[in-house]
Amino acid sequence: MDESVRNYIGIETEEVLACDPVEAGAVRRFAQAYGDIDPIYRDGDARFGGPVAPLIYPSQMFRRDFYDADPIDERASDPDFDGLGQNATQGLPAIEPLAHLSSLNGGNELEFFRFARHGERVTLKSRYADIYERETSKGKMIFVITESEYRGEGGDLIVRATRTQIRR
Amino acid sequence: MNVSPSRFDAIPLRLDFEDVEVGTELPPLVKGPLTTTHLMRWSAAIENWHKIHYDAQFAVEHDKLPGLLVNGTLKQQIIAQLLKDWAGREGWVWKVSFQFRGMNRVGETLSAWGRVTSKTAHPAFGLVELEVGLMNAEGKESTPGKATLALPFRGGPAVPYPFVPPVV
Repeated sequence: MDESVRNYIGIETEEVLACDPVEAGAVRRFAQAYGDIDPIYRDGDARFGGPVAPLIYPSQMFRRDFYDADPIDERASDPDFDGLGQNATQGLPAIEPLAHLSSLNGGNELEFFRFARHGERVTLKSRYADIYERETSKGKMIFVITESEYRGEGGDLIVRATRTQIRR
Repeated sequence: MNVSPSRFDAIPLRLDFEDVEVGTELPPLVKGPLTTTHLMRWSAAIENWHKIHYDAQFAVEHDKLPGLLVNGTLKQQIIAQLLKDWAGREGWVWKVSFQFRGMNRVGETLSAWGRVTSKTAHPAFGLVELEVGLMNAEGKESTPGKATLALPFRGGPAVPYPFVPPVV
């Protein structure tokens, strides 16, 4: 592994606001897409303060904003473009020395404190917690560990996520 | 995906800590067969355009994969749904972790499972530790993990919401 990769450890983002609030239509498409037709996502529950989004939803809210550049257009002629844009790195800068490697989702640890409510704005702050290389049965692989915190409008923690991305 | 709103008629709104024993197995949650259309619908819902989920030529020829893969984000969603449904409205899914150890290919049927490994009473609620995973029709495990759920005591109030972890 290129030693310059280690310089990315500890890099963190500013607190970023999701481009859209928790929207009823986006929640519907999300829940229908994995087949979780739970009434709390549409009709709500008094215990949760009204309609809410699925537990993991806040971690999927950080998408390309309206005026952001379009990586699909920009890399339309690049045969190595795997379709992933900046959302794959939770707002963190892409690790340039690993740009030529493919990417697989190695695993996640998630900690939930509440549901996000419809209409709510959610913020994200992420950092590269660790990057290391390991010999596996399928050869050398690089593990990129990212920690992210998703907070509600009052600054309270909704979800904490630790992701492992495998580059090979 | 074998899911209908009637599923929620069968889910108890409340599961008490005393109803759970070490070794208790959760009723499995089965999804599938997962077609390319399911994967495309999920990718669109989360606006993640990683080609290995819908571009078979890219997956096989560029990324040297055996075929289109079921999204890791979709697999973790199925396990989270299993836990959320089982904890009931008055319990809470505090923590869950997954390792994406095995690939699941398009066309597979996946069954989320869970088994209680320990339980601990705390002042305001009980904590239940589980092992969880996602098994295909051939019995191959792809997404082993662990989870911690908070459940109310029999005759007691719901687990406080938003959830406040116990001080250890």
